Amino acid sequence: MGGYMKKRNKESSILFKRSGREKIIFGIVFAFMVIYSFTMLYALFFLITNSFESRLGYLDKLSSEGNPFALPEVWHWENYAKAFGELSFTSVNTGKELGLGVMFLNSIWYIGFTVGGGILASAFMAYALSKYKFKANGFIYGVAIFSMTIPVVGNMGASFKLMSDLNIYNTPWYVILTCFSGTGFNFLILYGVFKNISWSYAEAVFVDGGGHFTVFFRIMLPQAFTPMLALAVVAAIGCWNDYMTPLLYLPDFPTVASGIYQIDLEFSRIGDIPATFAGLVISILPMLVLYAACSDIIMKNFTMGGLKG
Amino acid sequence: MQKEKAGKKKQWSQTIFLIVILALPILNWLVFWLYINLNSILLAFQDRNANWTLQNFAEFWESLVEPVDYGGSVQLALLNTLKYFAVDLLVLLPLALILSYFMYKRIFGFRVFRVIFYLPVIISAVALTTVYKEFIDPNGPLGKICELFGITMPAEGLLARNGSATNMILIYHIWTGFGVNVLLLGGAMSRIPLDVLEAARLDGVGPGREIMEFILPLIWPTLSTMLIFQLTAVFTASGPILLFSPNGDYNTTTISFWIFKRVYGGGIVSTGVSAREINLVSCTGLCFTAIGVPLILGARKLLEKIPAVEY
Repeated sequence: MGGYMKKRNKESSILFKRSGREKIIFGIVFAFMVIYSFTMLYALFFLITNSFESRLGYLDKLSSEGNPFALPEVWHWENYAKAFGELSFTSVNTGKELGLGVMFLNSIWYIGFTVGGGILASAFMAYALSKYKFKANGFIYGVAIFSMTIPVVGNMGASFKLMSDLNIYNTPWYVILTCFSGTGFNFLILYGVFKNISWSYAEAVFVDGGGHFTVFFRIMLPQAFTPMLALAVVAAIGCWNDYMTPLLYLPDFPTVASGIYQIDLEFSRIGDIPATFAGLVISILPMLVLYAACSDIIMKNFTMGGLKG
Repeated sequence: MQKEKAGKKKQWSQTIFLIVILALPILNWLVFWLYINLNSILLAFQDRNANWTLQNFAEFWESLVEPVDYGGSVQLALLNTLKYFAVDLLVLLPLALILSYFMYKRIFGFRVFRVIFYLPVIISAVALTTVYKEFIDPNGPLGKICELFGITMPAEGLLARNGSATNMILIYHIWTGFGVNVLLLGGAMSRIPLDVLEAARLDGVGPGREIMEFILPLIWPTLSTMLIFQLTAVFTASGPILLFSPNGDYNTTTISFWIFKRVYGGGIVSTGVSAREINLVSCTGLCFTAIGVPLILGARKLLEKIPAVEY
């Protein structure tokens, strides 16, 4: 308690105190932030309120004589039932109707493999390179950093060809086989995390007769759990909202993002925009809940070091 | 002897452990990074039937130097990509730095702002672009606001005109582009020891010097990494073109989108690999990568010359 108060007082003196001129600058920035926040929250408000509008009511609102700021006269809750029951598109390849329920299921396994495999592989790489001295260490680290910072353009064609040659294009195997990437952003953050964990824990385990696997799985991974969770949440949000990868490589396994995009194209043409809005609201809810539950973990665990090598 | 044996056993168990945990990510890298990129180079020199040719380079060059109005689609894509790159580097990153500083300095409501600035990362781009498109419709909220000020918006809308479509997507890109940058820079600033700033203030250091001489050097490892990543995107920077203009109409295409469209085609599986322009895509990618690599390596060397402060 005393420590907390001391920290708070110290913060008060440095981070909260401002001179007269500073107060003016803070006021201007505050105004900018308020305006920005208003636009972002209004966008959400617009989406949510119009998801309760009737099909014709919305078209009227966005006509030359209409009032786009008006709230729905009658709140059509059935739009949400319609979104779950009727929002779908027909797969060009199989002719199957793909609805929101299927998309949610696809999103769940897509996220599970992509995030789980990615975080685990990055943790393997980061731990091995940050904690062990071996001949190839510098080379592997250099290659990992090189492949992250080299501006590769246009390998999508070769990637597409490989997926087709391996017969994993448009199958869940595409996700399962490609998810174990140990380089990238996750590697960079976890490298810093493992580097900062003391090796003395490992030495204690070795003295007790434990091996390297015990140290990694029982000591190191649990210590890195919170940053890994933060990375997993951010990666899960990214995967949930990624529409291009599933569109390109998994056309018959639409996730919520790629499926809603295709529904949006179809439904906008026939004019039932409020039902599409309801589908969009349903699609963003899980990530809003996940973020609300984990925002503190994300904010406190995102520190990235420099690139050396 | 006993000790030597134990040492060897220890060494072996470490080697086995390293092989086991590194095998999966290394194999993944070999197949899905190295093989793909090497094959991409080979594909650039082949036609659809895998015959060796330089025709792709001729097509690429034609599309690059031909005026935009006469079908110079790569030229247009390059121009737009450089616009997105400039916005990322010169607008979004500096703005994110400024916003992170003020949030770090506990501007009133900073906790709420931190969440709101991160919202575009949480809310799917499909949802945000849908609302944005409705919002800037001539009969939408923006149109009505313009009417109040006596401004008439073009009837076809700002997204359906060659002159304004890319600019409107760029505005959307800025509007939704702060999230991760603010998060990373905020994380870096939160690690700055308060004692350093306190001592500086006691010595009469003002806010300007505090930023330039203390905060920037202390967050330099993170900032330089972010700069390198930004520079890496010199030929891949883009906005969500597919969500605004599925065919890249109204001069909105970028290099990334141009590549995506040529590989994606109509998104139909049965057309197979041969129907997609993967050779031209690989050739275009190879040319831009060849220009980009020395640029990035040079920029990285320059950035590394600025010493990082250890703390």
